[in-house]
Amino acid sequence: MDWFYIKGILILSGINLMAVLGLSLLTGFTGLFSFGHAGFMAIGAYVTAMMTIKFHLPFIPSLLIGAMGAALASLFIGRLTLNLKGDYFCIATLGFGEAIRLILDNVQYFGGARGWPGIPMYTNLTNVVILDIIGIAILVNLIRSRHGRNMKAIREEEMASQTIGINVFRYKMIALAISAAFAGVAGGMLGHYLGFLQPKMFQLIKSTELTIIVIFGGLGSISGSVIGALVLTSLPELLRTFAKWRLVVYGVAVVFIMITRPQGLMGGYEITAGNIKKLISRLASFGRPRQQTIGGDKE
Amino acid sequence: MSAFFQQLINGLSIGSVYALMAVGYSLVYSIMNFSNFAHGGVIMIGAYIGFFSMTAFKLPFTAAFCFAAFGAGILAVAIERIAYSPLRKRNAPFLYFIISAMGVSIFLENIIIASPIGPTFRTYPRVFSAAPFNIGGVNIGRLDVTMFLISAISLAVLVFIIEKTRTGMGIRASAYSLRASALMGVNTDRIILIVFGMGGFLAGIAGILFGMKYTVYPQIGNITIKSFIAAVFGGLGSLPGAVIGSVLLGIIETFTSGYLSSQFRDLIAFVLLIFILVVRPKGLMGKITEDKA
Amino acid sequence: MSILELKNVTKQFGGLTAVGNVDFVVEKDSIFGLIGPNGAGKTTIFNLITGIYKVTEGEILFEGKEINSLEPYQVAEMGITRTFQNIRLFKKLTTYENILTACHYNARYTILDSLVRSKRFRVEEKGLLDQAGELMDIMGLGDRKDVVAGNLPYGLQRRLEIARALALKPKLLLLDEPAAGMNPDETIRLMELIKEIRSRFNLTVLVIEHHMDLIMGICEKIVVLNFGRKLAEGTAQDVQANPKVIEAYLGEEEVVVC
Repeated sequence: MDWFYIKGILILSGINLMAVLGLSLLTGFTGLFSFGHAGFMAIGAYVTAMMTIKFHLPFIPSLLIGAMGAALASLFIGRLTLNLKGDYFCIATLGFGEAIRLILDNVQYFGGARGWPGIPMYTNLTNVVILDIIGIAILVNLIRSRHGRNMKAIREEEMASQTIGINVFRYKMIALAISAAFAGVAGGMLGHYLGFLQPKMFQLIKSTELTIIVIFGGLGSISGSVIGALVLTSLPELLRTFAKWRLVVYGVAVVFIMITRPQGLMGGYEITAGNIKKLISRLASFGRPRQQTIGGDKE
Repeated sequence: MSAFFQQLINGLSIGSVYALMAVGYSLVYSIMNFSNFAHGGVIMIGAYIGFFSMTAFKLPFTAAFCFAAFGAGILAVAIERIAYSPLRKRNAPFLYFIISAMGVSIFLENIIIASPIGPTFRTYPRVFSAAPFNIGGVNIGRLDVTMFLISAISLAVLVFIIEKTRTGMGIRASAYSLRASALMGVNTDRIILIVFGMGGFLAGIAGILFGMKYTVYPQIGNITIKSFIAAVFGGLGSLPGAVIGSVLLGIIETFTSGYLSSQFRDLIAFVLLIFILVVRPKGLMGKITEDKA
Repeated sequence: MSILELKNVTKQFGGLTAVGNVDFVVEKDSIFGLIGPNGAGKTTIFNLITGIYKVTEGEILFEGKEINSLEPYQVAEMGITRTFQNIRLFKKLTTYENILTACHYNARYTILDSLVRSKRFRVEEKGLLDQAGELMDIMGLGDRKDVVAGNLPYGLQRRLEIARALALKPKLLLLDEPAAGMNPDETIRLMELIKEIRSRFNLTVLVIEHHMDLIMGICEKIVVLNFGRKLAEGTAQDVQANPKVIEAYLGEEEVVVC
């Protein structure tokens, strides 16, 4: 295994991570389930590529425009469905994801179903890592604010959220738009890493894989999403022979996680300096717990 | 003019099979309030059971039909027991049900791909002669007529069960409020199993019919997206709505591919979805209820 | 001075009238009781006031302004908040987070402020943390700060729900069966608590309750509902003496006892 190969896996993990971070905000923190994130990735990918190829814009501004495109599309879906009770949003994203692919299949300007080659390969490990770190910072800062808390409240109990003055519809829209923007950036990076885009890359299974990563890492945990994206993207790459059975195992694992440990790997906890310290002190005291409590009693 | 009628009959027959799927989905939705995204997997397994009954076991169509329907029904019940019932017992949020359903659907699709059956497209042996009926200058495919009749009869039986039997009364009560029904002495656990069983049964029928109309392949379950959209079109959770929505969708699709382009056939469902969400989000027959505090 | 006024309020579900032509006036700074047998429409009235349901007919005025077309979050912004009959906490968040979330209303920083950790964010966020901490102490939840709300004992869950409502600094607090499932001892403490928060936070309380002791003990005025209609209105003594009430409500309980 040479560095080139490892680097490739890391870049792909980093790209997936960006999309997973967005989905984590939507599903893990706001409690909305989307089948359409591959569609948002596709919009980001094609818009970004159009900006760099047809308009000769630099990479980063193109990525931002791609992200905006994805966010706008998501707001359209959200506007129609997020104020309805029931699974309307779910079904609409499902239909949307498929529709985007069908449309791209037929747009000859972007090469249609045959694909779009010759995209400049701007994505490299450095900018992927930097963008991911920015993405994580945005998410962490958002979650640790009143806005993030409002989203978590909506996930927990929608009606109570309303009665404490949270505009549920507005916050769902915000979470959706940010989430789609992340997916859009991921799509943009993907196109400029592979140098090639094809609508087939953004099938329904891509959306579900992203969701699986979020669930595996633990709903409502950013560190869980990071670990999930790194492990679940690289593992199948490393175990090529396993590839055929990978999704079978994923399917079983998802059901198993839901019925036994729905909190996923991290169980809503985060890896922070404070939590690590707590863990270490707990582990350190593990050998002599009795002594300590006795000592405490005497005082 | 005859082309018009051919399209219409074609659309009716496809739409009626959509209705079989949409009704099964809506039944579960109306009682459990979540979208059972594993429904497509059940349809796919039904299609494969029908296929192998007729090819590997050389059974006649009627036997294959029964195996597909009952097999899919049993599978749907098993899925409920394994993937949903533990969540139900501990009152898990609806999100978990949807995710669990997604897991089942991924599992079913990929176990077929990974198994010796593989991802290949398989064609059903011919059961009905290719020669169409000719009624007043209009050619109607035998398969299309059969699809329509089988679907219509199945739906009629379902309506009879729901409207006229004691079990049906339990189902209607549970759809109104699962908790209240349980308090009133309805065995809701049994009702849920029956609903999954009936939904699976219809899914198995839809599977074998679609298998004969097109081919059998692991992703054939994705066709349920159409029935989800049809259910929204008709009004989420409403059974008559699901039927009407499905039939209309089937007809609109056939006309789109007949008069515009077959490229647009799959897209039209989504266009319709957006249209209905803009114009009448509660669907043709649906009612959006107020949340109870 | 009145703070809340229901004028001829009617709510129909399909053909069924859940609340019919109800009107009453709640005086500012009072504790107002809403009683009636099960299914009398008490919770429905709460849902109408808080905008969860929309009235079919009639008007609801809060501080003289019509609020019946507002969304629930807008009603909360006006200064009305509530608790629920079947407690609705943010179950997986801690006690502290439950209250802190509800404090959001007292900060105005934007998403951009939180992303760049601006000065405004830091100042206002500090204010929220202080406010939440203070409320925890006042409500006697200080030692349960990091307990996940779903794991609190039942009585404390009810208390936390009230604390969360108070975080909004409401003018009118609606309590839906706050003593449900409590023993007499706890009920008495709850009565004291309701009186205390009324004077401490300077608010008006509208309470639905089945515990007659609680209602009769703290409410200055009571409205009795039956089958969605107003049966009687007045002080505890008035209502207790009203033959219609005895027949519809208390009488029914006597039959159950026999």
